[in-house]
Amino acid sequence: MTTHEPVPIQARRLTKRFGSGAAVDDVSFTVSRGRIVGLLGPNGAGKTTTIRMLLGLAAPDGGDALINGHPYAALRSPLQAVGTVLDAGGLHPGRSGRQHLRIAAAQAQMPTSRVDDVLAEVDMTQVADRPIAGYSLGMRQRIALATALIGSPNILVLDEPANGLDPAGMHWLRLRLRAFADAGGAVLLSSHVLPDVQQIADDIVVMQSGRVVADVTLADALVEQHGDLERFYLELTGHGSEVR
Amino acid sequence: MLRAELLKLTTTSASKIALGVGAGGLILTQITSVTMLPALASGRFGSIPDGLADEIPSLDLATAGGQLAALSPLGASGGSGSLGIAVIAIVLMGVLAGTGDYRFGGIVTTALAQPNRIRILTAKAAAAGVAGLVTGAVFAVVSAATLLGTLAITGMPVAVEPSIIVAVLARGVLAIACLTIVGLAVGILARSQLAGVLVMLGILILELVVQSIAQLIVGSLPVWAQLMPLALTDALIGTSEAGLSLPAALTGLLSLTAIALTLAAVALRRRDI
Repeated sequence: MTTHEPVPIQARRLTKRFGSGAAVDDVSFTVSRGRIVGLLGPNGAGKTTTIRMLLGLAAPDGGDALINGHPYAALRSPLQAVGTVLDAGGLHPGRSGRQHLRIAAAQAQMPTSRVDDVLAEVDMTQVADRPIAGYSLGMRQRIALATALIGSPNILVLDEPANGLDPAGMHWLRLRLRAFADAGGAVLLSSHVLPDVQQIADDIVVMQSGRVVADVTLADALVEQHGDLERFYLELTGHGSEVR
Repeated sequence: MLRAELLKLTTTSASKIALGVGAGGLILTQITSVTMLPALASGRFGSIPDGLADEIPSLDLATAGGQLAALSPLGASGGSGSLGIAVIAIVLMGVLAGTGDYRFGGIVTTALAQPNRIRILTAKAAAAGVAGLVTGAVFAVVSAATLLGTLAITGMPVAVEPSIIVAVLARGVLAIACLTIVGLAVGILARSQLAGVLVMLGILILELVVQSIAQLIVGSLPVWAQLMPLALTDALIGTSEAGLSLPAALTGLLSLTAIALTLAAVALRRRDI
């Protein structure tokens, strides 16, 4: 007997217009359980707008943005379903990392004890009581990741999660996301750093001028360009690229 | 959500500074208006030139009216016709509570935790209301302590019934909570901290200007001018004879708060974050 579990992340013909132009135009892709999908594209390609529509932060002008088969706004405990890293992570420089996570735990309806768990997970326990103003970019990114993990979600949506991470931090992130996906989680991450995506992702979705120009497995992309993801990406996003 | 919003207010310095500045300013205002000026005017303290005593604007603490005026949690010189530091601190605390989430991107985390924007606003308003009640309670203690201390020092009896004292202080605390929520709504509408502060101060200063002009032209305060924030606050606290009745002032201030929140709710619902 088979069970029909909803797709963790599904964009169906998503469209968003700002003024007369379409920032996102008829975008469709899915992120399945156990998969890490890299969302790639140049600045202004529509990656962040797509992510914001998936998370209910921006209203689509057309199409559907679904999390576990439902619009984000219909999720009963959103932070327990989806962990998110967006922008600077909403970190107030006057608060300590621990205070920020206590607020996040309250928002996620999780016990305060969960704060110590996620601090340990991102290796920030020692500096948790220092003001965020004194954190490096990498430390802020770790606190942002801890915020995403606080609700013990099974979906992660990460916008440039590797920003500011040192090699050890990058290694940790790679292992953490792999373990997360191997445990049945689904990960959507946008990034400009192709080598990082090449090391982490199972599938890639490439956007250009608001449209999806490639939605393939990483293996297929590498086979097509003899193991060179950068060449694959530049061919799609450079001059004269066409919708595949 | 309420707990998270309360944590936001208690883990940043803005609300603590607003409370500290408001309480410190109120203490100075009360000591000046309730203790020093009446003492100067009566000749019990210092020496002033002949004929000048009558020119000093002081409260007559021997009367129930004077003692009531000294009880206002917004300061003896607060309310309609003036803009005390306590009022400024309260509304700015509300504005900063409304803009704080926007300034550092926390509104995104908040919206991810609670996609229903009306519930976000409800939690924020409740937290701001609690902050306003706590601030109002501190201000009420300052005002009551200054009056009772001054009466004890000068040997004057308390001329106001304890129940009336409690009622004045309670209405003052309620008015302060409403002003904090109005500030919050302005902050959410403005989003930018600077814009929120300027708009809020502009509203209060505009009220004083409009009231002065209206009084000059008409000779008394027209009803519409009594429906502005400071006038409603003063009328609700009820330490002066002028203004609306208590029920009308209560209805007016609650309505003003509800209108401000409704406008903030419409803006919050319609905006992409």
